[in-house]
Amino acid sequence: MTDNTENLIATLANTMEPVTRAAPPLVLFLKWFCCALIYLALLTFIWPPRPDIALKLHSPLYLAEVVALIMVMISSGLSATALSFPDLHQKRWLVFAPVIPILLFVTVLAIEWLADNPPAPAPVHSFECLQCIILLTILPAAGMLYMLRKQASIHYYLAGGIALIAASSVGCLTLRIAENTDCIYHLITWHYLPMIGFGIIGIWLGRKFLKW
Amino acid sequence: MQAGTDNILKELMRQALAGDKRAYAAALSGTARMLRPYLCKRLSNRNEIEDLLQEILISIHKARHTYDGQRPYTPWAFAIARYRLHDHLRAHYADHLRFAGELSEADNISATDVTESALSYESIKEEVQKLPEKQARILHLIHGDGYTAKEVASKIGMKESAVKVAAHRAYKILKKKLAE
Repeated sequence: MTDNTENLIATLANTMEPVTRAAPPLVLFLKWFCCALIYLALLTFIWPPRPDIALKLHSPLYLAEVVALIMVMISSGLSATALSFPDLHQKRWLVFAPVIPILLFVTVLAIEWLADNPPAPAPVHSFECLQCIILLTILPAAGMLYMLRKQASIHYYLAGGIALIAASSVGCLTLRIAENTDCIYHLITWHYLPMIGFGIIGIWLGRKFLKW
Repeated sequence: MQAGTDNILKELMRQALAGDKRAYAAALSGTARMLRPYLCKRLSNRNEIEDLLQEILISIHKARHTYDGQRPYTPWAFAIARYRLHDHLRAHYADHLRFAGELSEADNISATDVTESALSYESIKEEVQKLPEKQARILHLIHGDGYTAKEVASKIGMKESAVKVAAHRAYKILKKKLAE
């Protein structure tokens, strides 16, 4: 070993301070998820659930859509936290966890699209939903990125992208529970397609904030 | 053998995380010994290997809080090493591409703008002197003393291509200054 490397090792060892070990991905995720649930609960005071929510919860397709969305939120949150560790906490499968929920979610939307006959009336508003989702996504996204930044991700693009998908699903879920519309065209265009955009923004944010 | 090394390093790292500085030094030395052959297979320049190894050790130091002392140590250390190696190679090839680009630009410019400049060297001499020392010297030799790029290269002990690139960078700076 060269003198320089030996000197560096000696310096690093001498200046080493005790550090708090990072919690495992599941614990990190649960922290974020609990905060997201509290946030969702608080939001119901501002945007109360749609008046026919009790009835809608008996509709299998609505229920499947909401459950699939919750699964996307949980799996992508777990995946993002695993991605914040250099070795993925040696749980590579966690990174791929969102694949099945996302496929399930897309399938449910496709079934809803086919079942929308006669089509449900479109709401009078359009992009206002996207504005709301953006506003609802900012806090969970900031929280998730702040948490990931404290770790040492070597897949920062992916971590940022998946973190934003998890955060945007909080916004989408809030609106899906609160907004009194079942027009599938409106839901796909103004609620769910923007999630892809959030993912792309997340990739950029990951590069900006998670690179170390 | 690999499992043995992993167990030793894992144990040392566990002690290090508990605050044992000697164990930490031993863990880093063991990590350096483990990573050097990996880097030697991928890089040829000895100084480059040593620089990168040091960078990896610093990264391991910075990210040590993400290792819990429970899971295997080597996959964690190698993940960081691969990350830094890819970063290094990306920067290395980007430099090469930039240099090749500047070289081809320099070839075009030195054939036209430089030799047939509408400005006399004397009129911009003051601006030339404000350039970095090496660039100013090269321009002085080419335009003040009339040497070719090849002659300048042998005179100051540089490659001809490097002289052209340095001159090209200097022309860019001068062009910007004179346009102001």
